Amino acid sequence: MNTNEILSECNKIFIDQLDNPAIALKRETTAATVDEWDSLTHIQLVVAVEKHFKIRFTTAEIQGFINVGAMCDTIEAKLNSK
Amino acid sequence: MQKGDRYTHRFKITLEVYNGFIEVFKDKNLIHTDEHFAKEKGFKSIVMHGNILNGFLSYFIGECLPEKNVMIYSQSIDFKKPVFLNDSLTLYAHIEDIYESVKSAEIKFYFNNSDGVKVTTGKVLVGINL
Repeated sequence: MNTNEILSECNKIFIDQLDNPAIALKRETTAATVDEWDSLTHIQLVVAVEKHFKIRFTTAEIQGFINVGAMCDTIEAKLNSK
Repeated sequence: MQKGDRYTHRFKITLEVYNGFIEVFKDKNLIHTDEHFAKEKGFKSIVMHGNILNGFLSYFIGECLPEKNVMIYSQSIDFKKPVFLNDSLTLYAHIEDIYESVKSAEIKFYFNNSDGVKVTTGKVLVGINL
């Protein structure tokens, strides 16, 4: 699975978790640009992403994500290292 | 708290609980308050509000887990069978998974009535050690 495919999968997860079919994630997307993405839904998003891709993030990784693209890169690296 | 940890807790739907729920939330639907109506619908008696069990779950998460620094992030609950006044219910819960990155635990649970029938199932995402 490449980064674009991961981004597409993440988009589905965000739409489902945030209950907003209009969400269209880009690599540059951050919490500041998605209305429903707050501190509470952030946790639900992380859990949903970890479950979907069967991976685990560390707290440091989560804190280091500057945008969705950074998260996708980490997901890709974890999937490739399996 | 670790993945696989299991817990049980007993509850009873007393008249005090039932009356308290109605007093606070004002749901006086006939299925919950009219014996004749409930029997007409095929139930043995008035049906308790399913969300009373959500209250029990809230108590369990907030007061019975070994970790007291907790917060419910999300939960889902499916009502399988009706529950009635004075039913004794046992909550069975286990830690389905731990998400260290966001200090959260997914807990799956179900309630059995005194006949051992599963009346409710669900899961809850809980923040721990916040």
